[in-house]
Amino acid sequence: MAATDPAASPPAASIPRRRKDTRRSVLIADKVADWTITIGGLFVIIAVFGIMAFLAQVVVPLFTGGHVQDRADYAVARSEAGTLTVSTDEYRTIGVKVGPSGTVIAFHLPTGRALEPLAFDFGDVPVTGFGRTLKREDVAFGFADGSIRFGRMRMATQVLPADQLPAGLTRLNDRDLTDGRIIWSRIPGNQVRKVTPELSLEAPQKVAEDGSAIIALDYRLGGTSERPTKAFVAVDAAGVARIGTSETRTNMLTRQSRTETRTATLPALPAGTKVKTVLMTEKADQIYVGDMGGIIHRFDTRDFERPTLAESVDLLGADEELTSLYFLIGEVSLVVGGSKGTTDVYFRLQRPGARSSDGFTLVRAHQLDPQTAAVTAIGASQRTKMFVTGDAAGNVWLRHSTSEQTMLKLAAAGGKAVVSALITPRDDGIVAVDSDGRVHLWRIDVPHPETTLGTIFGKVWYEGYSEPTFTWQSSSGTDSFEPKLSLVPLIFGTLKATIYSLLFAVPIALLAAIYTSEFVNRGVRAVVKPTMEMMASLPSVVLGFIAALILAPIVETWLSAVLLAFFAIPLSLFAAAHLWQLLPGDTARRFGGLPKLVLIFAAVAFGMLVCFWFGRTFEQLLFGGNFKAWVNGDIGSGRPFMFLVLLPVSFIVAMVGFERVAGHRFLELQRSVGGAGAGLLDLVRWVALLVLGAVIAFLVAQLLTSSGFDPRGGVVDTYVQRNTLVVAFAMGFAVIPIIYTIAEDALNAVPEHLRAASLACGATPWQTAISVILPTAASGVFAGVMVGMGRAVGETMIVVMAAGNTPILDWNIFNGLRALSANIAVELPEAVKNDTLYRTLFLAALTLFVMTFVINTVAEIIRQRFRRRAVQL
Amino acid sequence: MTSTPFDTVAAKGRAQSSTRVRTTDMKAVGEPNLWAFGGALAFGCVMILGFLLLVFWNGVTTFWPKPLIVVTQADGARVAGEPFRAEAFRPGPEVLATLDPATRKVIADDGGLASRSLYRIGNYDIYNEDFRWVSDFSVTDTATPSGMMFIERLEWGPFIGRIQGVTIDDQERPALVGDRAGLAAAHDAARARWRQIRHIERNLIGDINHRLESERLAVRRIAIRQGEGTPEHTAALQRFAETEKVLQAEYAKLAADAQALKAEDARTRITLAEIGGAEKTINLSSVVRMYPANDLDLMGKLAVYASRWWEFVSDEPREANTEGGVLPAIFGTFVMTLLLVVVVAPFGVITALYLREYAKQGRLVAIVRISVNNLAGVPSIVYGVFGLGFFAYVLGGSIDGLFFPERLPNPTFGTGGILWASLTLALLTVPVVIVATEEALAAVPRSMREGSLACGASKWQTIRNIVLPRAMPGIMTGVILAMARGAGEVAPLMLVGVVKLAPELPLDGYFPFFHLERSFMHLGFHIFDVGFQSRNSEAGKPMVFVTTLLLIGLIFIMNISAIVIRNRLKRKFAGSQF
Repeated sequence: MAATDPAASPPAASIPRRRKDTRRSVLIADKVADWTITIGGLFVIIAVFGIMAFLAQVVVPLFTGGHVQDRADYAVARSEAGTLTVSTDEYRTIGVKVGPSGTVIAFHLPTGRALEPLAFDFGDVPVTGFGRTLKREDVAFGFADGSIRFGRMRMATQVLPADQLPAGLTRLNDRDLTDGRIIWSRIPGNQVRKVTPELSLEAPQKVAEDGSAIIALDYRLGGTSERPTKAFVAVDAAGVARIGTSETRTNMLTRQSRTETRTATLPALPAGTKVKTVLMTEKADQIYVGDMGGIIHRFDTRDFERPTLAESVDLLGADEELTSLYFLIGEVSLVVGGSKGTTDVYFRLQRPGARSSDGFTLVRAHQLDPQTAAVTAIGASQRTKMFVTGDAAGNVWLRHSTSEQTMLKLAAAGGKAVVSALITPRDDGIVAVDSDGRVHLWRIDVPHPETTLGTIFGKVWYEGYSEPTFTWQSSSGTDSFEPKLSLVPLIFGTLKATIYSLLFAVPIALLAAIYTSEFVNRGVRAVVKPTMEMMASLPSVVLGFIAALILAPIVETWLSAVLLAFFAIPLSLFAAAHLWQLLPGDTARRFGGLPKLVLIFAAVAFGMLVCFWFGRTFEQLLFGGNFKAWVNGDIGSGRPFMFLVLLPVSFIVAMVGFERVAGHRFLELQRSVGGAGAGLLDLVRWVALLVLGAVIAFLVAQLLTSSGFDPRGGVVDTYVQRNTLVVAFAMGFAVIPIIYTIAEDALNAVPEHLRAASLACGATPWQTAISVILPTAASGVFAGVMVGMGRAVGETMIVVMAAGNTPILDWNIFNGLRALSANIAVELPEAVKNDTLYRTLFLAALTLFVMTFVINTVAEIIRQRFRRRAVQL
Repeated sequence: MTSTPFDTVAAKGRAQSSTRVRTTDMKAVGEPNLWAFGGALAFGCVMILGFLLLVFWNGVTTFWPKPLIVVTQADGARVAGEPFRAEAFRPGPEVLATLDPATRKVIADDGGLASRSLYRIGNYDIYNEDFRWVSDFSVTDTATPSGMMFIERLEWGPFIGRIQGVTIDDQERPALVGDRAGLAAAHDAARARWRQIRHIERNLIGDINHRLESERLAVRRIAIRQGEGTPEHTAALQRFAETEKVLQAEYAKLAADAQALKAEDARTRITLAEIGGAEKTINLSSVVRMYPANDLDLMGKLAVYASRWWEFVSDEPREANTEGGVLPAIFGTFVMTLLLVVVVAPFGVITALYLREYAKQGRLVAIVRISVNNLAGVPSIVYGVFGLGFFAYVLGGSIDGLFFPERLPNPTFGTGGILWASLTLALLTVPVVIVATEEALAAVPRSMREGSLACGASKWQTIRNIVLPRAMPGIMTGVILAMARGAGEVAPLMLVGVVKLAPELPLDGYFPFFHLERSFMHLGFHIFDVGFQSRNSEAGKPMVFVTTLLLIGLIFIMNISAIVIRNRLKRKFAGSQF
């Protein structure tokens, strides 16, 4: 007692002084940790889900059509009632409206306030026909006396420093000031923009010698600035259509210019033709004469001296009249508007059996929503395949030809017929003039008119293509190029790469996983598993580099050896196994561990050596000595390839057949012989079945070939150096370790008692593995395959480097592909922020995200189910 | 070969019912199948080992000086170069027509194939090619003559030939042509001068430019804040004019210094002659390294080898990245990975703690866990797209508008940079850390937590003192694996700030020293760039192999250290089990 007292007393003494409540700092730390961890954790989780939301948010505007930002309508003072055309400048500052007597009213576009009037001086000759270019800068007038005059309405734009703004200007709105003739706009950067309308008119040219009125004409400018060419087509009241070109050459030294004019008369139009419109293409090689009744006469004027009538087609139904006709940008597509509101887009295509003199024919490529009343005005965009149509009831619809969508359906106040409509040069506004001369203006925002779900995931008929196609072509050199953004070839490319690489990787990974889990001892496993897993940490850029620059040339040189490997290595392994069976049982057991694995390695190596030695002989034997020529279809028949493909199948057929017919007897025979003799018998049987399989394969191949079947053109076709075979092999490095690890873990997780029970019942390790372990672990193994698939779908650098990046729909294993991921990596750095390509690439990323997310979620759910089941066992 | 389990069982049943045989049926053992399975494993191992061997061998031997072979061809043409590789090819009919019948027969007997060798012949400025194929049948003589020099230059790739003359200070010095030590000394002096010129041009003049630019930006900032034409702005403009004058004077002086040095440098020249006799005179200072390839002993070769490796890891790239070193890329990779860890480790651990220790374990958390797991499988390029769209354009754009208006319209943070790259990769790798940490936390026995709580410790005290230390090995492993994954990822970086040649490192002597907005170089992208976008992919290949070796080495070191750290910490805590 005494001894313990001193020891016990100090604590006893300290107990009363000990505070029971927790220190404040601890409480605060706890609270802070609580909050930090909760907020931080939730933040990361939200961030991770935010990715999907962000991608979707960028993508959505692709499909939202457009909207009107504001609108205005006004009658312009002093303007004529009739309207030939309207035009505006690039910045929507000035509008110009031309009346039938040559008056030109310039007005401030946002407010409608008239500027000083201008005029084309026609000298009292009435205007009877009118033509304009797509940009509406160049106009042509036809007169009652059979003459024509070319004119030009330009909006001269100049950017000046702000201090050059003259004094005493009238304010028009927040941005614009005017002196009555010119408009100045303040623009950012302390500058002003000066916009001046300018007119010029050329001297009249007598076209119809007999003086009959010109009722329709069209006019194009071309050539270089040193050698401008002007081409026109004019139809007079007598129905005679004339074409003419003039080319002006300026001598650089003397500064004198010389104009050469050539004219010709088009073949006579059919009697009774009431010409509505005449159009001429940019290069003046096609003339379209539109008849009131809806018949289009197309003239081929490539040979200017001898124009021919190429075809006459009725584009509208019998009871519908042609009310308007104009080109879209590029002047290949033709918009046809009818009196019942029909709005169709046609273009000229080469068609075999076309009933025309030049082999081309007008094809209706796009049928757009019909307008509710007669289409009276068409205005094409100067940048895209967008156009507006105005109708007799005052509706103005904004449409896109390629995507066939109607983005905006606007109605002009008053409901008067629209006589002229245009899209402003920057695609940011619509101007329409009605029959009363009232101007209607809409400021619009239509960022992505060319995309709908249909254009991205469906077939689209692009201008000049002979049929609707899935095409990805995002850029090109020319201005009038239309980007073709179909994700289908890219999704196809991703799937092709995935499927071929899984065909290669899955068997290797699964067989290796089963072997590692069931048939090697722990020591070997401890070495082999990390080795395989090491593959997973190889950066994919390295794999891509090796695949593209080292492997692809090697595969190309040793193609026959590579093909032979698919047969030589398995055959070498099976042969080695049958030889192993010749060993006496106890020897086999004694060396069943590591020595056997070494022998397996040796068998694989031997198989490779065989390929190396006999690759060329193999090529000589089956493919006429040149596999690439064979695959191209230049030499040989499809028989050898079919033979190779059928070989494994027919071997299995022979095997099963033998098993059915003589399996039991053979087993009895083996038993009676026993030991090495049985092994010998097995070897003989294997060789015999192999020969039998080969014979069957040959016969079937022969049969298929003689019935006209040729695999070339399908999964095998022309050889390209960077091809799917190489991609599949390189991708193997990325996919095999993933499938291997997950499958091996799943097999290992099968409870030991199942294994023990099976073995104790007398099953061999092979039977245990195949009949007990594998079925139990099947869902886990499957999950591994799914995860591997997810990796293959998203793999980027390998496909960027080794796949050749050609966006085609083609299953050929010897051709390249372009995957979604590679496409993003290649094109996104060059895409302009928030334009259509940029958003489409975000959609590609979203597609990839969703694809892998679905695959991985399925895999994860399967895996969790497997885990639960494994626990229950 | 395939047999259903039912068959075997039935066969066994029959065997047992008649006479009992102890030996196992061959079919039941499934030996051929086992070999096929083992073969798959062997093939996988051969794949990976072959791959590593290929990279290792090519990477290690690239810098080893090879002999220069002079090949004389049948038509009398002579080619001097390093042998590169050989292959079989199919000579075209026009080539075959020029051959004598005996050679033609040999080729025909060989299935129309002949062999040829690729020589690195250098002298791009003279030949317009770096490599040349020589058909073996056209070779009449090969030799490795003494005196052939391999000369690495600053421009135009290597020169292969002989030294014809040396001019030092405009004095011809024929004695130096054969005097290796003397030439080396002269070369060292020329290189020192070259480095001095580079120092003036890059560092000193660069410094002036930097000061000038920051002054200009300061004026613009005042203009934006106070408005143009205000007294402050006028004063700032005044100050700027004065500073500019001072700096211009400094610049003029430095430029004159550099000019003088350059003039001096141009007086020391070396005249080289290629095998055909064409001569070329260049400044001695533009020779990076020269060695008589056929006269080197082992020590000499080792010295060249070592000096090339040193240049590789310590110098900047030249010749469109196909020569020189990769220091900026190593540095970029390192800084990016470091930033990645700084971001990913705390966030990953906090999230895992939240999921495992704080959140209510219900259906929602299970779903979140599945999602986090799956995010590890989302393609890296998708993160790259997100990084570009969100970090660079949205976040970076706002930062620019708020803090760097004076630099607009040039983006500062509003474009790809090392910060955005690290954040993107952090997002990409955070699931790795979360999953690893969660597993580690789950492995801490419940009894320990309960014990700690029962002793009166608060929740946070328990986590900090009991749970986290024990989970540390798992967490470290997760972080290191995330690092390894991040360091090897290239696809997202291509979108968020990696460049083929970064003029400035993300870390330098100017305030604020760490320039997170700068674009950077990366080893992985270096491989892509040199291998695919250089003038001649053949010329870049050796460099790519060395870079690959370096990158793989780096990643393996990280992976192995993850394993070592895990094992060590495991051992440390093994003793404290209770």
